[in-house]
Amino acid sequence: MKQRQMSRRAFLNAGGDAAKGSCIILTMPMILTACGQANDARTSNNDFQLLSEEEVLEYSAISARIIPSNGTPGATEAGVIYFIDSVVADNREVEHQILKDGLVTLQSEGAAQFGVASFYLLKDEQQDQLLRQIESSEFFNTIRFLTVAGMFSSPEYGGNRDKVGFELLGFTDQHAWQPPFGFYDADYAEKGE
Amino acid sequence: MTEVPNSVQYSTLEDVDFVIVGSGSAGGIIAKELSTAGYSVVVLEQGPHLKAADFTHDEWGVKYNFDLEWDWRQGHPQTRRRTENEEAVVGDSSLRYAHNVGGGSVHFSGNFWRLREIDFIEASVRGPIAGTNFVDWPITYAELEPYYTKVDWEIGLSGLQGPWDPPRSRDYPCAAMPVKSSGVLLERAAKKLGYTAYPAPVAILSEPHNGRPACIHCGLCNGYGCEVNAKSSTMVTMIPLALASGNCELRTGCTVSKINIDESGRANEVVYWEQDGTESAQRCKAVVLSANGAETPRLLLLSESARHPDGLANSSGMVGKNLMFNGYSQAIGLFDEPVHAYKSIPATRVVHDFWELDEDLGFYGGGGIDSRHPFGGNLISTALSGGMFGGATWGVEYKESLQHLFTHSCSFDGHTTSLPLSTNNVTLDPSVKDMWGRPAIRVTYNEHADDIATMKFFLDRSLELMEAAGATQMEGSYDENSPWTQHLLGTCRMGNDPETSVVDRYNRSHDIPNLFMCDGSSMVSSSRGQPTITIMALAFRAADLIIQSARRGEI
Repeated sequence: MKQRQMSRRAFLNAGGDAAKGSCIILTMPMILTACGQANDARTSNNDFQLLSEEEVLEYSAISARIIPSNGTPGATEAGVIYFIDSVVADNREVEHQILKDGLVTLQSEGAAQFGVASFYLLKDEQQDQLLRQIESSEFFNTIRFLTVAGMFSSPEYGGNRDKVGFELLGFTDQHAWQPPFGFYDADYAEKGE
Repeated sequence: MTEVPNSVQYSTLEDVDFVIVGSGSAGGIIAKELSTAGYSVVVLEQGPHLKAADFTHDEWGVKYNFDLEWDWRQGHPQTRRRTENEEAVVGDSSLRYAHNVGGGSVHFSGNFWRLREIDFIEASVRGPIAGTNFVDWPITYAELEPYYTKVDWEIGLSGLQGPWDPPRSRDYPCAAMPVKSSGVLLERAAKKLGYTAYPAPVAILSEPHNGRPACIHCGLCNGYGCEVNAKSSTMVTMIPLALASGNCELRTGCTVSKINIDESGRANEVVYWEQDGTESAQRCKAVVLSANGAETPRLLLLSESARHPDGLANSSGMVGKNLMFNGYSQAIGLFDEPVHAYKSIPATRVVHDFWELDEDLGFYGGGGIDSRHPFGGNLISTALSGGMFGGATWGVEYKESLQHLFTHSCSFDGHTTSLPLSTNNVTLDPSVKDMWGRPAIRVTYNEHADDIATMKFFLDRSLELMEAAGATQMEGSYDENSPWTQHLLGTCRMGNDPETSVVDRYNRSHDIPNLFMCDGSSMVSSSRGQPTITIMALAFRAADLIIQSARRGEI
């Protein structure tokens, strides 16, 4: 039984021969770079490839309201911000612009309503109140998408540290299963259906 | 990763017997059949030759970076619009397909429902449908049955003959896959309502067959490559036999740009770019296009010339038309106990009581219902749907809802017919280009009202079944104006009449005697949502007829 899926980096390292035979090489270096830098970032904790310090603080604070750390690990512990940084840096200028523009709007709302321009300095309730006002915006949908993706994607991409996302979903990261798979098939054979 | 070396290399300047464009469900089979029959074959495949060890459970890579399917991110944009009056825009691809040896058979779900007798003669039984190109097939179920059986045994299927299945000449080679909880829920609900659920026939091995191992129930078939070779792709079933014949050269990373025609009107050369952009051309006696229902018509349209101003093999004007997506509906339910539908193969039970809908309903349609993990066993996809039952979509409550959504949910999915329409089609985009500078695929697609009515009918049945199954909460939806499909059907349809079809009943072009098209594009009607087994049966049949034709000296 295979205990652990082959990592993307292992795939890339092992994949030299096949990649040479295909157009896949056109994209792999970008992904490799993104993965490598995300991993580096995780160890140094300061080293972001694209996001500014302000963006890191602000997006982290928003992600932490989307998947909070209420007794169990949330977006913060999962390192979602490292995922966001690495994938937005990977040829996603459109999404990055949505984030930057949305942040400006969010900050001006914070300043107008609470007299504090930095979202991350607001109280939790104030943050939630602001986010509720923009729930249907493209900005919120984008950062929610990236937060969720960072929480539950393979740790290769920088988030889901220690597989805390897998744990949250109740997913056992195991590669082979045998029946019974769940509650309802446990007595299937016995009942002679 | 070790490349299987080609045991033979052909000169591009000398005629090979056949060039096959594409190595997927159809191309892989035809390559194996022709090469093992002794003909020299060159297969041109755009993508790489991946192996089991290359595949992972990387949802971000597969579903969002399009590592296997390719997209605008890899230099292959498509444009889409609903009607010809709109300007098509670039988005995530509408027609999604693999770029690798084995094509879509590498990452399909493996649901292999044979067509039934009625599928081939439905238009004459039911009568024409105004405004559509709904017609009978030029072949019958009986003609295709031996080739369905070839698929069962040579490709490798697991299943159990169901109560209304069409007659089969031989049993399935492998027993049905073990039922999982989502299948039990569907089966028990069906019983309550007077329907019949039976084991889903799949191209995944329940036991060792032809030297390949049984499935380990890892859970991610749909969209992913199989890590143990239990999924019966042509990559693991046909391509190795083709290469072992010593008559087949597989050239990967080769993107075909054009089919050339000689003075006498026969195809004699296939022009392509190699991996590094070098332009090459392979001389040949005959050409088989199995590039899929998007790429085959595009290639014909791109091969226009003074002699063929509307594209090659297109005297009917039907190349690219009659694109059919297959309808889809889904009821999602939450249950008290763990379902764990993320384990094992996507579907273990199917309900086929609604294959043909009653004419009295006032619309045409039909299909089947199976039971699955609502989000394909995918984690990101599940979590993005958190709050779908009306709860919070972020925050503490959202977070708490996620665990049940992944482990305690199941869906009953409807897979349904699409009608063929001239207005649903693949054309060349006038402005957007791909990485090779070729016009991008432009998709124009708008469901027929009957397709939507059918999806709604299936959703209603799925919701009734979900209630009977004991779901504590449920939601349903259907894909009206679906933005994408992996079923690429109908765009070079088969028929007896050269005025209204692109290939004849032998998958031969009506216009070019040594040009064959065989893949999803050949389909005359849409199937009930699981077309690959029929594409494969057509490929075995076409290969048989091509070989007979070649032996008569007609190629």
